[in-house]
Amino acid sequence: MTPLLEIDGISKRFGGLLALTDVSFNVIEGEILGLIGPNGAGKTTMFNCIAGVYKPTSGNLVFTRDEKSLRINGRKPEKMTELGIARTFQNIRLFSALTVLDNVRIARHCRTTSNFFRSVLRTRFQRAEEKEIVDASMRWLDFVGLGHHALADASSLSYGDQRRLEIARALATEPKLLLLDEPAAGMNPRETRMLVDLIHAILDAGVSVMLIEHDMKLVMKICKRLVVLDHGTLIAEGGPKEVRENPQVIEAYLGRGAAHA
Amino acid sequence: MNIGKSLILLIVAAVLTYPLVPQSSDYIIHVMTLAMVYMILAMGLNIVPGFCGLLDLGYVGFYGIGAYTAGLLTIHYDMSFWVIVPLAALNGALWGALLGAPTLRLTGDYFAIVTFGFSELVVLFLTNEIWLTRGPLGLPGIQPITVNLTWLNEAWYFQFYDKTPNFYVVALLVGLVFFIMRRMEDSRLGRAWYAIREDPLAAASCGVNILNYKVIAFAISAAIGAVGGCFYARWSMFLSPDMFKFWESFLVLCMVVLGGLGNIKGALLGAVILVCLGEVLREVLTSLGLPPETRFMAYGLIMVLIMRFKPSGFFPAIASSGRSNPLLLDLQKRLAARNAPKDEARDAAA
Amino acid sequence: MLEQQLINGLTLGLIYALIAVGYTMVYGVIQLINFAHGEIYMLGAFFCVTFITAAGMPFYVAILMAIICCMLCGILLDIIAYRPLRKAPRLAALITAIGMSIFLQNVALIIWGSRSRPFPQGALPPFFREKALVMGDISLTWLQLFIFAVAIIMMLGLYLTINKTRIGTAMRALAQNKTAASLMGINVNYVISFTFALGSAMGAVAGILVSVYYNTLYPTMGYTAGVKAFAAAVLGGIGSVPGAMVGGVVLGVAEALGAGYVSSLYRDGVAYAVMIAVIIFRPSGILGRSVVDKA
Ligand SMILES: Nc1ncnc2c1ncn2[C@@H]1O[C@H](COP(=O)(O)OP(=O)(O)OP(=O)(O)O)[C@@H](O)[C@H]1O
Ligand SMILES: [Mg+2]
Repeated sequence: MTPLLEIDGISKRFGGLLALTDVSFNVIEGEILGLIGPNGAGKTTMFNCIAGVYKPTSGNLVFTRDEKSLRINGRKPEKMTELGIARTFQNIRLFSALTVLDNVRIARHCRTTSNFFRSVLRTRFQRAEEKEIVDASMRWLDFVGLGHHALADASSLSYGDQRRLEIARALATEPKLLLLDEPAAGMNPRETRMLVDLIHAILDAGVSVMLIEHDMKLVMKICKRLVVLDHGTLIAEGGPKEVRENPQVIEAYLGRGAAHA
Repeated sequence: MNIGKSLILLIVAAVLTYPLVPQSSDYIIHVMTLAMVYMILAMGLNIVPGFCGLLDLGYVGFYGIGAYTAGLLTIHYDMSFWVIVPLAALNGALWGALLGAPTLRLTGDYFAIVTFGFSELVVLFLTNEIWLTRGPLGLPGIQPITVNLTWLNEAWYFQFYDKTPNFYVVALLVGLVFFIMRRMEDSRLGRAWYAIREDPLAAASCGVNILNYKVIAFAISAAIGAVGGCFYARWSMFLSPDMFKFWESFLVLCMVVLGGLGNIKGALLGAVILVCLGEVLREVLTSLGLPPETRFMAYGLIMVLIMRFKPSGFFPAIASSGRSNPLLLDLQKRLAARNAPKDEARDAAA
Repeated sequence: MLEQQLINGLTLGLIYALIAVGYTMVYGVIQLINFAHGEIYMLGAFFCVTFITAAGMPFYVAILMAIICCMLCGILLDIIAYRPLRKAPRLAALITAIGMSIFLQNVALIIWGSRSRPFPQGALPPFFREKALVMGDISLTWLQLFIFAVAIIMMLGLYLTINKTRIGTAMRALAQNKTAASLMGINVNYVISFTFALGSAMGAVAGILVSVYYNTLYPTMGYTAGVKAFAAAVLGGIGSVPGAMVGGVVLGVAEALGAGYVSSLYRDGVAYAVMIAVIIFRPSGILGRSVVDKA
């Protein structure tokens, strides 16, 4: 079976710093893949390469959608979104002056087409599309449990709710692969439990998930497979138990995450 | 609940009927017409800094392009105003796209300075290409706006030398631009712009092609500026390069800032306030023996103070057009219905 | 003829360079185009003339006093207008900068009137207009030599300040990374004020030199000169001090040659066209770093 996303020898250099060195692994359709590693390991950089924010210095990204495999490295972020790769940000990046609903409506951009003329003339097509946008946005807001906040300002939400809104916004682009960058950061235990349920629901909706997370308990609980980065190189790959017992991983985390793991 | 709205409607109606009053003063009609020209410009400029968050210091360049396009087409080809408006808008949009496409990639401050340079080049061109524009001598003898309905009735040919019909033409244009702005604001296009203004990276991750949408914004804004210039040419019947110096850009920017960046109605109010303030200051300053240009000191101060103390402008965007969209009103009702039982349950529990 | 144009261009270019470093330094430390910098340049000229005519100071003393006044103006400008907006969106700071520029220009208009005035010739050393050097058709006045000397000395001083002093190191650190710099114990606001003072001093000198060279000063003189100097800063690569120096000279020469050989009507146009072309085709300038929006 072809993987959903094949990461093949990706390197990323920032001036003199090699943030990623020849990293290869696959994301399989229908799985939750955990991407872990100590601070500064290059996890977010990997996400940024996949999401098109950075162009990898070398290597290949191959994304398979509808049986077709495409080499996608170096494409623009909006192209990646169009292809079906959505992401959230480590430090929340909502459109904070806009409403919750508008945040999600904007994410429908790449699945809709109304242009200037249709918007000004409010054609029948445009009105139908606008209705579809609101309906789809509400569906995703209800999906993450924020439907009743739809008309509130995004900045008025609690921290945990803002994280969930980012997830709703990403889902509204109808991705095949969702990249979550530390979604549980700053959440209380109740919110974290809800997040676990949410991630499983996302999976059930047919979206594969790649998850960066420092909360080892959470990662070990929901990921069947983990990839570990350290100093930009891949040091381990496999099931939670395997990874936990890997001496290299223990060393990388020593004195910090080791107790958790 | 609708007292505010009724009041505004009443004021608009009063202003619109004023020129029909027999005792109406030509001066006041003139000032109102001028204010409406600036309303068009302020609404058009608002798209770039207000919706997209980019500083445009060269708006007057497009105003000038529109005005000279109209003036020259009128003088040389005797075209009707109603044909010239779309042509001038197209010409403005073309220049907007040509300038925007290569420069909107860059950070905002570079864009600001490029627009400034562009508008200065426009003035230099208008000043120096004498074969086309007659240079500093200006372009006199532009025919006023006409309405030719002779195909309906032999006698229906009107030429608007008078102030009153011009007043209504510009009111019509203001209405048209306002309508377009409101519809754009509450659409896929407007939302994409807001996303870019709020967070370009997040906007791109939502699938918005930032460069394209910035160029579209800039081109539409330029087109609206050109429409304003078009009316101005046929109304004043004389153009000269001095009319399109940086001061005008600054003044329009100040209107937008005063009304609140991104606030369409605010831009209208900003235009009215600054045009009136300009008239008052002109009188006051001359009586103090100061040159009338020093009124710009007040405008500069207004901008600095607003950015410092009230960066969203003086008029809250209470009802941006999106909120009054039937879709949203409907959603609001549904949400209220959904939340109501919960509230009751909570009340019962308490 | 060509040589003469080159010399005139060089004179002008050195003056642009003096203004341009002010833009570039401020941009380096707070990423703001300080549009009001052109007004500091204008104020330099007016302060100098006022000190000569109203206070009867000798030329050199008046220059010194004007420099000090402009440094104070620069610092105040930053503290009053820009500092409160450090955390605000870029657009707010840019709009404030434009507003301050217009405000200051009109304050000058009210104080000194809108008419252009000559530089008080009596105060100048009498040999300034005499020829210092004649070679064939080219000639160089003492005044031009004086401008060369002052500009070069100022640039050298600036270079040494930036590269050899503690505060210069702090400035460079700030330009690299503001948070890291403040973590290292650098007093950020102090360094920014110092940068404004330094840039304003250079601008003031430029204003004085120009008003002497052309024998005229007027309240709107900062407007075109400011934009041209900014163009020079862009040409050299914004944020780069040596770039601003090179950019100023290149622009001055290009302008003189353009006016001489293409069309004198578009004299100012050369600067704008060069600027737009550089921004479009090589936005990092001759010596600068990349500025393409990351997002
Ligand atoms: N745009 C950039 N320019 C230069 N260096 C960068 C850039 N982005 C990341 N880096 C560097 O690359 C390395 C990896 O950073 P990255 O953000 O990917 O780490 P991370 O694994 O996400 O860490 P954390 O768990 O703290 O989020 C770091 O040393 C970081 O400083
Ligand atoms: Mg990270």
